[in-house]
Amino acid sequence: MRVARDGRTGRPGEPIEIYKEEAIAMLDSVFTGWGAFWAVIAMFAPFALMGIYIVRRKSVSDTGPSPLQPSEFIPLEGVWLTFAFIFFVIINLAGLKFIPWAAAAPSLTAEPAEPITQAVDFTAKSWAYDLSSRQIEAGKPVRFSGRSSDTQHGFAVYHPDGRMLFTMLMMPNTTKATSVVYTFKDPGTYKVRCLEYCGIAHHAMQDELTVVKSN
Amino acid sequence: MSFATSVVNNTPIFGRMIYVDKSTGLEEINAWPALMIMSSFIWLVVAGILGLALPATQIFQAGEDHYYTAMTLHAAALVFPFSVQLMMGVGLHRSGGCVGKAITGFWPAMTWLTMNLGSAILTVAVLMGLKVSLMVMFPLPLVGAQMGVWSMESVIVGFTGIYLVLASMILFYPILIFKMMFWGRKRPELILSERSLNDPGMLGMILSAMVLFLTGLPLVVVGTTLLLALYKILPMSMAAWAADPVVFQYSFFFFAHNLMEAMAIMVASAIYATLPLYLADGSRKLISDKMANLALWILLVTSITSGLHHFITFYPNQPAALSYWGSVMSWSTGIGVALSIFTIFATIWKHGLKPEVGLIAVLIGWGIYIFDGASAMVTSSIAWAYQLHGTMWQSGHTMTVVLSMALMWMGILYHHYPVITGRKLDPALGRLYVWLMSIGGIGVAMVMLMAGADGMPRRIANWHQENWMFWGNLFMFFGLILGAAFLVYLYNLMKSSEITATVGRQLARA
Ligand code: HEM
Ligand SMILES: [Cu+2]
Repeated sequence: MRVARDGRTGRPGEPIEIYKEEAIAMLDSVFTGWGAFWAVIAMFAPFALMGIYIVRRKSVSDTGPSPLQPSEFIPLEGVWLTFAFIFFVIINLAGLKFIPWAAAAPSLTAEPAEPITQAVDFTAKSWAYDLSSRQIEAGKPVRFSGRSSDTQHGFAVYHPDGRMLFTMLMMPNTTKATSVVYTFKDPGTYKVRCLEYCGIAHHAMQDELTVVKSN
Repeated sequence: MSFATSVVNNTPIFGRMIYVDKSTGLEEINAWPALMIMSSFIWLVVAGILGLALPATQIFQAGEDHYYTAMTLHAAALVFPFSVQLMMGVGLHRSGGCVGKAITGFWPAMTWLTMNLGSAILTVAVLMGLKVSLMVMFPLPLVGAQMGVWSMESVIVGFTGIYLVLASMILFYPILIFKMMFWGRKRPELILSERSLNDPGMLGMILSAMVLFLTGLPLVVVGTTLLLALYKILPMSMAAWAADPVVFQYSFFFFAHNLMEAMAIMVASAIYATLPLYLADGSRKLISDKMANLALWILLVTSITSGLHHFITFYPNQPAALSYWGSVMSWSTGIGVALSIFTIFATIWKHGLKPEVGLIAVLIGWGIYIFDGASAMVTSSIAWAYQLHGTMWQSGHTMTVVLSMALMWMGILYHHYPVITGRKLDPALGRLYVWLMSIGGIGVAMVMLMAGADGMPRRIANWHQENWMFWGNLFMFFGLILGAAFLVYLYNLMKSSEITATVGRQLARA
């Protein structure tokens, strides 16, 4: 019998649910900045090892031609490409849940989506934000909608522990506001930074949001 | 003696790196390429020092203004007049020797002139205060002028420079390639190793010139309109459509993204052409030309629209469907790359390898390129894009893709060097270069991605927050190793004139 992270146990004969939950919990850390880095290493390391092995072997120890005929490489090539293809598809399907706009859509989760009751509207202008609200309740989705009134700007929200949670890109003169729906978990002070270079005081374009416990 | 030869052979220090040897009888395919290669190295030295200045301004807290100046010049110079120009130079020499046609006259002259003059003018604009980063960040130049951060003159000067650089890449260079491939007289004495258009090494040249030309045209139209308005030849009201940020950004990235892809296609084809010459059994063949070409076609088709991944976080202004499309196309370029990985590994496996320094340098550059490709696919996934866009990850990716391609061309130049100069390079210095460049190149790439994973923003002049200086110091450490690698490489070129007397024609035909 499997035990989930929060201590719940699966009913006998129904362990699948827990495996699934655990897999999804693991994905939570895959689709982060550092998860991205390890994903790159996971793709690169086998390539690098293979490359070093082949180049060393065929230029130092065994330089003669291999008896393999070109036609014998074809099945191997098929396997390799199929593997790459499946790997790419799996990663991209797994990522769907973590797309902010998809996560907010009802169709992906079996339950009806939670109504979005909080909104933060803002205008970005060199080099500050004009925010409709700086206080947000944890655990409830909030819709951020932003526009720029002069040049390109960003709006990136940082967790108190320094992780970047999401960023947005705004350009002037768009008909719609750029928008993201996000649900904060932890109360605390969150930094906002502009991540689109916007001139000589770009680094000073910052703000803060306060996330409070939901009542 | 042609103009290009006399400029190269009379330039102090840098001229000695790639002195054109007329006794090879190949001056007509060597001179302009040598001038481009030499010019690219001058830009490399200047802009490489500016690269080191980036962490240095932070370590010594030398002021934000200096950071943004160095950042704009560093990236712009290393992409255009260094990497693109190096690629043009080596690529032109290579194509000339494959089709046996002279590279002389108006088109190579204009390609070289517009690239270097444009870059110099852009440099002047940046020094006048126009700090807009490599990507221009339109409408930032105009907004900055309105806010009085920099002058309108600097904007006009800057756009003039950029425009000339674009003309070099989008018009003069592609036209020169087409002209060489399809017109002009074939001269048997200029043929070094004849190749047809079906050859993977040749196909890539044509495809990439086509990509530059076609994907650049929208930007040329937008840029021309804007420039005419800036010069007051056209009323601003008629240029308003081109000054719309969304129009400008999409045409800019349609080109900028495909410029990278075109360079990738070209360098892939250059490996396809070079690797067979170093096979141990002398077979001089890839395992399958068909598969090699298929990879180029996949890269071509998927790359055209994958640039939509630049605007994922612009949702819903960029509709979700376009972002998904951009993401799927980006991962599909990975399939093209997977195919070329197989072709290269299988070729080496089948025929064995003569591990000469130049080829090893090419293969390591290619390895760094694959590493970068993985980082690029990852950020094109929508979920990851939301957490990485605008961080050092993107700078790391942009820098690494350009760097890796430059490293491959520098390796390929080892192969062509004797034909241009009639001289040989010192293999021991070559090996030292390969070591330094591997450690520095992979090191810088890794730490920039890690800094991005850690949330450190790109293009930000204040690293003294959140422990980001930890990464800043590592940039400096690996940057110095990379800088040392370049110095060793250039020193090797300079020294070649001392260690070998010219053997001219014999070497050229070897
Ligand atoms: C000599 C050592 C080098 C150091 C220490 C260095 C450092 C850096 C740093 C810190 C950035 C990030 C700037 C920012 O986003 O705020 C950067 C950007 C960049 N570097 Fe380098 N660099 C070096 C060499 C190179 C080389 C050799 C190339 C190309 C061949 C290159 C191409 C670029 C490009 C294209 C960017 C712009 C990325 C972007 O803003 O999108 N760098 N470099
Ligand atoms: Cu901003």
